[in-house]
Amino acid sequence: MEIEIISFGQITEFINNQKIEVDGIADTDAFKQYIEDRFPALKGIKYKLALNKNIIQQNTKIANQATIAIMPPFSGG
Amino acid sequence: MSEKKIKNIFVNGPIEPAFIADSIAKHGSKTAIGGHSIFMGQVRKDEIDGKFVAAIEYTAYEEIALEKMHQIREDIFEKYPLNCMHIYHSLGTVKTGEICLFVFTSSAHRKPAIAACSEVVDRLKAELPIWGKEIFEDKTHQWKENI
Repeated sequence: MEIEIISFGQITEFINNQKIEVDGIADTDAFKQYIEDRFPALKGIKYKLALNKNIIQQNTKIANQATIAIMPPFSGG
Repeated sequence: MSEKKIKNIFVNGPIEPAFIADSIAKHGSKTAIGGHSIFMGQVRKDEIDGKFVAAIEYTAYEEIALEKMHQIREDIFEKYPLNCMHIYHSLGTVKTGEICLFVFTSSAHRKPAIAACSEVVDRLKAELPIWGKEIFEDKTHQWKENI
């Protein structure tokens, strides 16, 4: 399946926006595992995911052609 | 959900003092208002390891930020008897000393306006996906984090 990854803030410095073709990522917990394995720098950062523009609070199923945003702590204002 | 009107809050670059003055002036015709509360965020020249902040560069996940702001706005209008509420946040580069956030609430009596203004600022900082990159005078940077 295809997943579009977009990153924000300091995470843009080591994860570019990209489309990935992967199998076996059924939910957001599996995605976290995948992304932290690929980008170990992420392990040191508190981050949140947004799946199709909804901020994820708990493990959520991922469908094909999902867009997942990886967001570090907010610092607006 | 289709009825809701999502307002834009983002302004490119700093929020000009003249814009703020104009916004205040526009309320002259709203004579039911008896109290305004205004919060303005200004980019601070922080010193970190001997280097000074020259500017903050703001980016946002705009769609989520505007959706969240809409929810906050609805919550606040439900909680306080406000006549109006205006919120503007910068994107892009804002230099030290310039305004990056403008929150303006108005009510018949002062207390709801003051409480609402403060709550909007707190929630906006905690809930809106906006990021500030602090650019130092020597062009190096660090990412700001709200505590």
